[in-house]
Amino acid sequence: MTSNSNNDIESSLSQFPPAVLEAFQEASEAMDSAFTEEEFNLWAKEGVSIAGQTVRSWESAVEYYKVGSHVARALAFPSFMQWARCGTYLAQDSPALAVAFFKASPLIVGNLRPQYIPRWAGLGRSLYKGTWKSSTLSAKFFEVSPDLIRSLPFWDVEVFASLIESLSYKSYDVSMECLVLGRDVLPAMGREREAFLSMCRALTDSNWREVKTCLELAPRALQQIDEGQTGRFLKLGERLAKTGLRETAKFLADGTSTLAQIPQTSQTHILDLAEGLLATSPDAVAPFLKSLDIVLNRITMNQLDTWYQHGVEMLKENPDSGIAFFKIESTTSESMLETLSSSLELERVKGVVKLYCSALSGSTIDVLDTQELVNKNIGWVDEDTASTDGTKVFLPPIVDHYPRKDENFAWFKVVATHQVGHLEFGSFNFSFEKPAACFEEQRRSELELNQSERQAALLREMGDDAPDISDQAHAYTDIGRFLNLFEDRKLAFDLFTVLEDCRLDYRIKMEYPGIRTASERVQIEARSGRPEIQQLPLQQALVELLIQMSLEQFTDLMVPTEYKDESVMLSQILHTLRDVRANVEDTTEAALRAYEIIHRIENKEEEEDQWQPEDLDDPGDFSEEQYESMLDKLNAGQQDGEDGEGGEGNPYESPEPVDYRGDFKPEMVQLLTKLQSDKGESGEGEALSQEQLEQMLEDSAELELDAEQGDISNSTSMFAQNIMKEAGVPPPDSESGEGYGPLLHDDDQGGELEAREPKAYLYDEWDFRADDYKPRWCIVKEKVLDEGESVFYNESIKNFSSLLNHVKRQFELIMPETFRKTYRLVDGEDIDLNAAIEAWADVRMNVPPDEKIYWRRNKIERDVSVVFLLDMSASTAEAIDEGRNTVDDRDAPDDPVEYMVWLRRRREGLVRRHYKRIIDLEKESTTLLIQALESIGDTYGIYGFSGYGRENVEFYVIKDIEESFNEKIKRRIDKITPLHATRMGSAVRHAITKLENQPSTRKILFLISDGRPQDRGYSREGVEKEYAVHDTHMALQEAKRKDITPFCLTVDKSGHDYLKQMCGDMSYEVLDDIWALPERLPMLYRKLTM
Amino acid sequence: MVEATEPQYNEYAIEEFLVRSEPYYRPVGDEMELFTAAYEQHIPVLLKGPTGCGKTRFVEYMAWKLGRPLTVAKDSTAQPLNEGEVRVPLVTIACHEDLTASDLVGRYLLDANGTRWIDGPMTRAVKTGAILYLDEVVEARKDTTVLIHPLTDHRRILPIEKTGSIVEADDRFLLCISYNPHYQSALKDLKHSTRQRFISVEFDYPPADVEAEIVQNESGCTSDQAEALAKLGEKVRNLREHGLQEGASTRLLIYAGRLMSQGIKPRRACQVAIVWTLTDEAELQRSVEEVVTSIFE
Repeated sequence: MTSNSNNDIESSLSQFPPAVLEAFQEASEAMDSAFTEEEFNLWAKEGVSIAGQTVRSWESAVEYYKVGSHVARALAFPSFMQWARCGTYLAQDSPALAVAFFKASPLIVGNLRPQYIPRWAGLGRSLYKGTWKSSTLSAKFFEVSPDLIRSLPFWDVEVFASLIESLSYKSYDVSMECLVLGRDVLPAMGREREAFLSMCRALTDSNWREVKTCLELAPRALQQIDEGQTGRFLKLGERLAKTGLRETAKFLADGTSTLAQIPQTSQTHILDLAEGLLATSPDAVAPFLKSLDIVLNRITMNQLDTWYQHGVEMLKENPDSGIAFFKIESTTSESMLETLSSSLELERVKGVVKLYCSALSGSTIDVLDTQELVNKNIGWVDEDTASTDGTKVFLPPIVDHYPRKDENFAWFKVVATHQVGHLEFGSFNFSFEKPAACFEEQRRSELELNQSERQAALLREMGDDAPDISDQAHAYTDIGRFLNLFEDRKLAFDLFTVLEDCRLDYRIKMEYPGIRTASERVQIEARSGRPEIQQLPLQQALVELLIQMSLEQFTDLMVPTEYKDESVMLSQILHTLRDVRANVEDTTEAALRAYEIIHRIENKEEEEDQWQPEDLDDPGDFSEEQYESMLDKLNAGQQDGEDGEGGEGNPYESPEPVDYRGDFKPEMVQLLTKLQSDKGESGEGEALSQEQLEQMLEDSAELELDAEQGDISNSTSMFAQNIMKEAGVPPPDSESGEGYGPLLHDDDQGGELEAREPKAYLYDEWDFRADDYKPRWCIVKEKVLDEGESVFYNESIKNFSSLLNHVKRQFELIMPETFRKTYRLVDGEDIDLNAAIEAWADVRMNVPPDEKIYWRRNKIERDVSVVFLLDMSASTAEAIDEGRNTVDDRDAPDDPVEYMVWLRRRREGLVRRHYKRIIDLEKESTTLLIQALESIGDTYGIYGFSGYGRENVEFYVIKDIEESFNEKIKRRIDKITPLHATRMGSAVRHAITKLENQPSTRKILFLISDGRPQDRGYSREGVEKEYAVHDTHMALQEAKRKDITPFCLTVDKSGHDYLKQMCGDMSYEVLDDIWALPERLPMLYRKLTM
Repeated sequence: MVEATEPQYNEYAIEEFLVRSEPYYRPVGDEMELFTAAYEQHIPVLLKGPTGCGKTRFVEYMAWKLGRPLTVAKDSTAQPLNEGEVRVPLVTIACHEDLTASDLVGRYLLDANGTRWIDGPMTRAVKTGAILYLDEVVEARKDTTVLIHPLTDHRRILPIEKTGSIVEADDRFLLCISYNPHYQSALKDLKHSTRQRFISVEFDYPPADVEAEIVQNESGCTSDQAEALAKLGEKVRNLREHGLQEGASTRLLIYAGRLMSQGIKPRRACQVAIVWTLTDEAELQRSVEEVVTSIFE
């Protein structure tokens, strides 16, 4: 370094205040070593030029020299000079800026890429508008920069700076405060920062005063909601800000606090709704979010949709009332909430109702939504009416008749009890041959005899000997055979229905006095909706009369004067059924008698003065003689009538149904049951052809096949096909594999298989019908599971660390227990000397001695081998969370905006997997278990199984029984995924093979599943679920025979029914709370091996 | 009403306990003939059945019936037996996990003069010719089976290892065990070698009409209430396959009936005696409760 140039510089600097020179001299020592001579000169000269910019720019130069060495350490020389020049320009504008710039620099340069330095300087410069205030702001910007740049990406800093700039046009004070706030708030934000900044940006245009409040509120507010949702939430805020929302900050605060109350899984949905609302009316969004808290306290998420939709409708019509609606400041909104909150969804009480029904009926009853029955398309069409098909009870999805929840539940109970009553009191067990209990004569047999004679005569006359298809078909079920006796099937069926319902209601009233109050209430309501008797033509009026009596209305009934005796007779018939002894055969007898009377009366309208009120609560006993003579009289009258006017009666129409009694279809139920049982014993008896079935359906009074619903023959044939599917009978013309239903194609055909590949094993399968094994029936293919990442394993250990410690401790306790001597026992191997001496001393001192003077050693050595079999069937993919209903295209909304919302939700549903699946818990439990097992040293193997079809039972090795634990196994666990079906039997058999070769004294086979065993063709003739259960049972038996202790653990709540059968006297456990699996599994194992 | 009086109780030596007054037992099938026949023929009896269906009561009743020639209340001053009279004491032991062989056979106790042998209940029963009733036998430790085996075959002996002696059973001695096959948690099972030493009499809850009779008799409630309770029992037992480990036992129904006869409201009585006793699971509780509210007003 030449002192020459140095002197030059020092002399030029000396014209400035001495501080400059001092700073230079101080710095030059450090810089001397860092820079080459040339570079040093350039650096020094730049300082001179800075100092020379304006009057006060010498201050900048001082700072420049001071920080030089720090900056130089981080920057290459060209960048360094670039930086210096930035300072020079700033000094040109305002020395204060340059000072701030230089001051901040040492902290900045380390964190900012050199090429951004000019842009950073530019940001500060842009805030300077030549005024004093602006220069303070700009300087402040440089001051806070180090903090910002350290933790924000540079473009966010840029955005923030431009935000501050635009704010500065409004108020320097505010922008100054925001700048400081920003420094504190922004670094803490995550991905949502960008969205937040852009929201603030939008605010500066509309409501700049809000920005500061937003900044203040943001950190706390945003913490409350799910990280994934903040971005969307802020976007929403931004869009609202753009539309000129006044109180964005309030929105921010209210919105977040509301969302915080909502489970994370539902937050997306709420945001969907909010966005949907934004499209309709931005003003309503804030009230919506604000009310949400209150609203959700009263109704469920599902109900919220209804409420929301209603609000949107109102908004479209009248924005003001819509907003009031969302603020819950309108009566409509209030009353809607009232209704919704008191209404009861079947979904929520299904479990209870199901158990209730099962308890009453004594068989397993499924409770389903009526919608599902309609979807089956087998003849039931009404979506709001309860019904039963013999094994399931169908109830409407929602009840909102009453303002209170418990009342609505009571309604459910009444309806369910009535439906179960059909099963409990045998509506469907009608047998043509069985005698009635209350009626004396078997008129139906007599009638049938008469009819068949008549028909035979008719046939002889016509000389036509073709068998009547419909007759044969109708005789297929007993109810059909009965209804077949009547000319007017519809009338007969209606009478049967009302009388059977009357019998049931009476019986229920007697058997279950507890629901009397509720069912009386329902009956009274049903009565109020009935038509007036005197308005109807005679036949219908008499049927209506019966209905009203069946609803316990016996007084003040209008009866036609002309047929007063007949009405009394009908009432007598009905009263006969009000007896606990009455059975369904009595109902048919009663229906038959009622039919004979009503059928003989012309179905014509009567004048109003032809009616008189009558009390029929005690009409006296029914007597056959009176009935006979009444028929004679009627016959005579009929003759007269025909001679006289010539029957001009109206055609008979069915009465209005009684809602709570639902849809009663005995013929269908008997048909389904019969089809199912006939198929079981195939070959025996004549199966019903599809044509016969169609014929039968067409004639059945139970189906309402209106012409409007399309071509009748078409729909009956469809019904017929569906019914056959439902019953599990393959429709004759369908190709295999087509249509839905229980596995239609089975591979019962085909014979033994051969294992050609290595690692493929053949096993027999148990056929419980044949009571024998099917030899070499299944191929089990053993594969080592692919390796994934070990992350899952490690994460699980981390997540369950506390539980793991507990489990491990428990396991470790087992070991010493086996070797430890237990002292001070009342009985044992030998005398415990210490205790004996003490006791003896006590005796000597005349103190009662302690008797516990023995010790014993637990001699059992632990020698356990265990195989864990994990169910990897597709069903383990089921989410455990309450899980929103899967959306499918059918409910896609028409409105384009809603459609977008809907579509987005759907897509998210596909990618997003916040929820846990059964298999995830299985995996976590496995992880825990491995840890535990490793600590105790038992021999263990872990396998997964799945497969498709008998020739392809996949058996995945996660840890082979002989393999020692290693990294690979950790990685395999990651790859446990839901696959196909579950052919449990073969998997169990293969596991037995694995265990069999182990020398241990105690062997355990631990099966963890999530449901029934099932697979293609894992059933006899494709439908019997028991086949799989029996086979698995047999496999477990085999294990037991080989001294292996099998244990089944299932997470299927409804597992009790088949597990009992599957495990027989072997142990099993049904885990009610799946979340308990990771904890329960090791504990169970421990208990099992102790 | 409980009055403030001196506590009254009776204490007997275990083998001297006799069933004095006729216990109420309502036979459902031929179990009485079977038991009597087995008793005469020295065949041990295994009583299978769910809890509270009357197994223990049956044994008590049979002890009373078989020993009926002498059921005089026995004073502490032992009266000599008359010629030809038999008495059948009943020794009941509720088995539990820690019940060891020596709990049954007997053990040495320490006293001032060293050790003294005390006979266990089983030894006493064998010596006096009692009916030995081991309740819930699967619960007992495995070493008890060692005792059961020689007692239950033709030998009818009880080896006492500690004293080095063998006791031959009195002619009237009968071993009777009970076992509840329904326990799902039973990770234990009765071994076949043990099982096949007994005849098995299966018990189940009686049919509704019989059960109503029993409930009414035992609890003193009205016949309507008894019938309703029997109906309730029947319905609740239907839930056994749906998560309920055990159905409502006759005993529970009787409890409910007793509460009713004391004036407790039927619904409430059923709630405390049945619903809450049966299960802790909320949904199941609710379901059973719905059945209760359907049957009772």
